[in-house]
Amino acid sequence: MTAVTRLLSPDDLRRLSNLHVPTRTRVEGFCSGLHRSPHKGFSVEFREHRAYAPGDELRRLDWKLFGRRDRFFIREFEEETNVRAMLLLDASGSMGYGDGSELTKFDYAARMAAGLSWLLLQQSDAVGLVTFDTQLRQYIPPRSRPGHLKVLAETILNTTPGGETSLGTVFHDLAVQLHRRGLLIILSDCFDSVPHILSALAHFRHAHHEVLVLQIWHPDELEFPFRGWVRFDSLERAGHRQFVDPAMLREAYQARVRQFQEELRRGCYRHRVDLATFVMNRPPIEALASYLSGRGRRA
Amino acid sequence: MTFVNAALLAGLVAMAIPVIIHLWHRHRFRVVPWGAMMFLDELLRVHRRRIQIEQWLLLALRTLLIGLVVLAMAGPVWTRGSSLAGRAPTSVVMLFDNSLSMETSEAGRSWLDAAKEAARSLVSELPRGSELAVIGMAAPIPRLEEPTVDRALWVSGIDDIEGSGAAARVAESLQSAAGLFEKRMQNADRLLVIVSDFQRTSWGPESAEERRAAWRRLTSQPLPPRIVLMPVPASSSDNVSVGPIQLPRGVIGVNQTAKLRVPVHNWGRRRAVDARIRLKVDQVERTMSSVRLAPGESAQVLFPVTFDRAGSHLVEAMFDGEDVLRGDNEAAAAILVADRIAVLLVSGDPNPLPLRGETAFLELALQPYARERRGRRSDWIEARTVGESTWTPAMLRDVRAVVLANVRQCSSEQLRALVEFVQDGGGMLICPGDRINLEWYRTALANAGLLPAVPVSLQGAPSAEETAVGISLQRFYHPALSLFNDPGRGTLQGIRIRAWYQLDVPSDLSERVVARLETGDPWLVEHRLGAGRILLMAIPCDADWSNLPLKPAYVPLMQELMIYLGTTVHPPRNVAPREALAAFVEGTEGDRPVWTAPDGSVHEVPLVARGHRWLAEFGHTERPGVYWLRPPRGEVMHFVVQRPPEESDLDPLGEAELNHVAAEASATIARTAAEWLAAERHRRYGRELWRAVWWWAMVVLLLELGLEAWLARPVLERASA
Repeated sequence: MTAVTRLLSPDDLRRLSNLHVPTRTRVEGFCSGLHRSPHKGFSVEFREHRAYAPGDELRRLDWKLFGRRDRFFIREFEEETNVRAMLLLDASGSMGYGDGSELTKFDYAARMAAGLSWLLLQQSDAVGLVTFDTQLRQYIPPRSRPGHLKVLAETILNTTPGGETSLGTVFHDLAVQLHRRGLLIILSDCFDSVPHILSALAHFRHAHHEVLVLQIWHPDELEFPFRGWVRFDSLERAGHRQFVDPAMLREAYQARVRQFQEELRRGCYRHRVDLATFVMNRPPIEALASYLSGRGRRA
Repeated sequence: MTFVNAALLAGLVAMAIPVIIHLWHRHRFRVVPWGAMMFLDELLRVHRRRIQIEQWLLLALRTLLIGLVVLAMAGPVWTRGSSLAGRAPTSVVMLFDNSLSMETSEAGRSWLDAAKEAARSLVSELPRGSELAVIGMAAPIPRLEEPTVDRALWVSGIDDIEGSGAAARVAESLQSAAGLFEKRMQNADRLLVIVSDFQRTSWGPESAEERRAAWRRLTSQPLPPRIVLMPVPASSSDNVSVGPIQLPRGVIGVNQTAKLRVPVHNWGRRRAVDARIRLKVDQVERTMSSVRLAPGESAQVLFPVTFDRAGSHLVEAMFDGEDVLRGDNEAAAAILVADRIAVLLVSGDPNPLPLRGETAFLELALQPYARERRGRRSDWIEARTVGESTWTPAMLRDVRAVVLANVRQCSSEQLRALVEFVQDGGGMLICPGDRINLEWYRTALANAGLLPAVPVSLQGAPSAEETAVGISLQRFYHPALSLFNDPGRGTLQGIRIRAWYQLDVPSDLSERVVARLETGDPWLVEHRLGAGRILLMAIPCDADWSNLPLKPAYVPLMQELMIYLGTTVHPPRNVAPREALAAFVEGTEGDRPVWTAPDGSVHEVPLVARGHRWLAEFGHTERPGVYWLRPPRGEVMHFVVQRPPEESDLDPLGEAELNHVAAEASATIARTAAEWLAAERHRRYGRELWRAVWWWAMVVLLLELGLEAWLARPVLERASA
């Protein structure tokens, strides 16, 4: 079994086959593709005419219009380009949470990342991957080669979650490294200070990246369903533990989580960052497909 | 503190169950590798202390709940220092109210019966080896006056208690009880039980000071007794009382009309309509009268009575109606009727001419009917005049009173005879005039004890009409002058005294002064010597220095004075309870006259010599009623021990007042024997607390449930609340 098939089953691919990953802003690619490019140039899709100016290439003159108007017009075409998508996969310790029998959040995010990679490569888009915890772990630059999917899948499979989370710091560093505007898809639980996260997202947006945050929640993290005394051992910081009776804290915990979600949602909206919340009670590809179909309609 | 089932206290180890469960839960915890620690950290940073306190509080409540349940099941008993060492023999003094009011009968049962039943129940519960003495609060209770351990005697003695008809003497009884505890009681455990109707008249604030002194004596003893008040169920009921009969004087003359006044009082709350009062004289019904009495109202029924025979007589007044206390429906009085009072008038200036002698007016006043012999009237007083030089001591033998009218002086023999005469109960009136030897009066007569006051000097002038003074007309409290308090019966107004002796009465003996002149000088002074009395007048008894003999008041005045002086030889026949009965009788040494008490008991008491006479005395007069004396010679004499009028007021102490009395002595109030038994059990075994502990357990359970419900609310919501 290859790395790709370990992450994506044929059913998953079939489910994704009719979908694509749309962008809402203009992205810079290096070849033609599905996405609108900010660069104007030769393309199959006409955009507009403009008056000829000395220095313009004569091949771009619209001779038919010259015949009708007797004036020189230059034909401009919409440049269709491929997107440079970067998958930012959170590999911090908190993503390692799972109830033991099912997938961990990281596994869930990994399958979604694989699905997204497959989709983007199908669209001839370039896909890269960044895994991180408190710092960048691995950086796979965007490629649009079909064989790139294997590289991505192997990288994902070779990554195990661990270490603390510091989304703000990582994202700021990454924003500096990504020169060309593109699509940034963050797969994370976003367990960090909301202001820090928003600050980093703002940095991305300032660099004209389109940012899509796919926040992964395990149902336990929302419902806090534990009974009896529980020692919660931190997945991120060794030795950090809390010994509590969950019944005493359940209501407060849920309220705090709701507050966190609301703050993050409002911040993302303010920075024009798409935030999609995924709860692990649905298979990852199914949830992703559902999300993409909806996003496709909205785009 | 002790426990009925102390073994169950082992269950207190169950208090560890919540702690164990708590610890068990904490040690059997589940480990969850957790990613969203940031939320837990935040919450615990804010709420950790609060949660810990709440958990400890919950744990404490659960532990307390189990502890209380176990405690309640163990049957805690608060013993207040008492031990369970068993029932030690107790020394018990019972003050039993056998006063008249306890004879009140309601619904066919007397308060006395209720008290006896309570007392029987109480003594039957006394521990083995206990001793009991019963003190009658009104009259002694036979057979139980001394402490005894004979339980059969207790029961029979209590059964035999009867009403005494006397008044309850609270303070005196308490003092007696204190004396018994101090000297006679053997056991360390001591109990004073007071069984009474707690009449307000006996237990009210008027007697509080004496009572407190007795309480102090009781409670300051080395082994102070516990005190229990057992009020019988008494209430203020309808009651009409009669008496005591008021007599005009102690001795009445034959064929003299004596007006007997019979007070009748309605103590109840209903009007007494046509309350019929019957009068018996010598056990023969003479007459009847009726009165109407509003609630709380008093009335006097007047019965004029004459006696045609000298000697001792008994009058009885009785109320015919129905009321709850029959013991006060009758009143009796013993009346001594004398056929004549012989008086010796010693004249310092005898003169055969009419109204010229020193005692002429006096003799006429004392025997107004002697010469006229009109109708059936006769003189009660028999006066005989002798000159100062001719009277002999032998003349005093047959007289009751002697008058020294302007007598210059007496011989030493005469003086000795006068002293003996007065000491034996004779009366003497001294009326000094212009002929007296003032020096002899001041020395010899005064030294013999026969002079109530010393004549100092002559005031005024016999012929100076303008300087004459009158008699101060104040209210007279002397029995011989009380007649003149009623102007309708006579007045001393208009008497003008031109000359008088200034009588020197020491200020500490001012009570000797019977009447004064308008100048403030004593006019009539009294002094007692032995069984007799002496009256000293500041003026002579003729008209030389005053117009007194010419006034209408002269006759009753002098007659009253002579009757007073002539009858003092007779001790009173109507006395208060516990006052001795006495009478001069004819007899010889060794004679034992027989006294019969109201309860039928017969007592033979030997005669006692008093001068030349023999005196029969009887001191056991606790029981009111008629006493009979059968002397060695002569007819039966009657005596009456008056019933205490305050016993007719059946109003008991109110609840607050009774509590106040109990508080005076830190006493316990037990209305029934059962209540007392409960109090004793409480004292001996303590107060059972299991009910209270159950209640507390319920309260703690509710608190625990409430706290759990509170904790189940969201933490943030609680914080905002």
